[in-house]
Amino acid sequence: MLLVYAILGALFGFVLSRSGAADYDFIQGMFLLTNFQLYGIIGVAVALTAPGILLIKRYGRTATGAPIVIELKPLHRGNLVGGVLFGVGWAITGMCPGPILVNIGEGKVYAIAALAGALIGAGLFGVSYPRLARPLGLPPLARGTGDG
Amino acid sequence: MTLILNDVLAIHWAIAGAAIAAITLVLLFVSNRRLGISTGFEDVCSLVLDAEYFRRASVLSGRGWRLPFLVGLVLGGVVSAVLGGGWSPTWALGMFDQRIGWGPAGKVAWMFGGGLLIGFGTRMAGGCTSGHGIFGLSNLELPSLVSTVSFMVAGLVTTNLIYRVIV
Repeated sequence: MLLVYAILGALFGFVLSRSGAADYDFIQGMFLLTNFQLYGIIGVAVALTAPGILLIKRYGRTATGAPIVIELKPLHRGNLVGGVLFGVGWAITGMCPGPILVNIGEGKVYAIAALAGALIGAGLFGVSYPRLARPLGLPPLARGTGDG
Repeated sequence: MTLILNDVLAIHWAIAGAAIAAITLVLLFVSNRRLGISTGFEDVCSLVLDAEYFRRASVLSGRGWRLPFLVGLVLGGVVSAVLGGGWSPTWALGMFDQRIGWGPAGKVAWMFGGGLLIGFGTRMAGGCTSGHGIFGLSNLELPSLVSTVSFMVAGLVTTNLIYRVIV
């Protein structure tokens, strides 16, 4: 299975690379409302994934016959506050988490600095979880803010 | 429009969107996993940090698929460059170079600062563009709608401040 995940990741990375989703100028164009590309990509992705998920849930089983389990993300104030912090970071770097890795693969040297920042940022969030849980109304630590 | 990467022409948005949907659905149907990349930062942290947060069951069980997926993302970038005019290390950053024009040291600081916000923010929000914006919205989850609106609005304000107000 390891190889399956790596291949799916590579396909995903290739599409992000070639579509502009991992391109600084396309991301700035999206936020400046001067380039439709990213809205088209996300729109089509959601419009096709939504009925796909519905069909898979109705079928109820994976390809190997195991029951489909989709763990839902919890609702908390971190969805909004964290979303805002991430949005600022996305605009600054022109990269969201997947494209950071894609840019490194493409040979963009500065993306390594973005990855270092992202790993340290995630680490800082993890160690400060007990202190942030109450003000942000986060779920118990064992559950976390949501996988994804 | 062409990419910063070797001036390659970008593929059509409808094809890219359909490909992303296909990969997301295969991941769910074949391996029962909801797409989500930012938790991969926690998976990497869990290899070196001993904090209780990084020993959660969901981190330990997700590492097995997410870490190879992340390696795949890097490989996808490599293949894209190799097939699209050749791979070579570059500092090119498109309109940042034209309008702001900082050299390597400035770019490293800029990217590191932005990266901190991405890592901290996505984990606080419980997801990023993939987990909230694609999978969560497609699965009609309210937290994903809240997060997606939040990061889109924040990005819009930030980029407009940078390129329409400051520089």
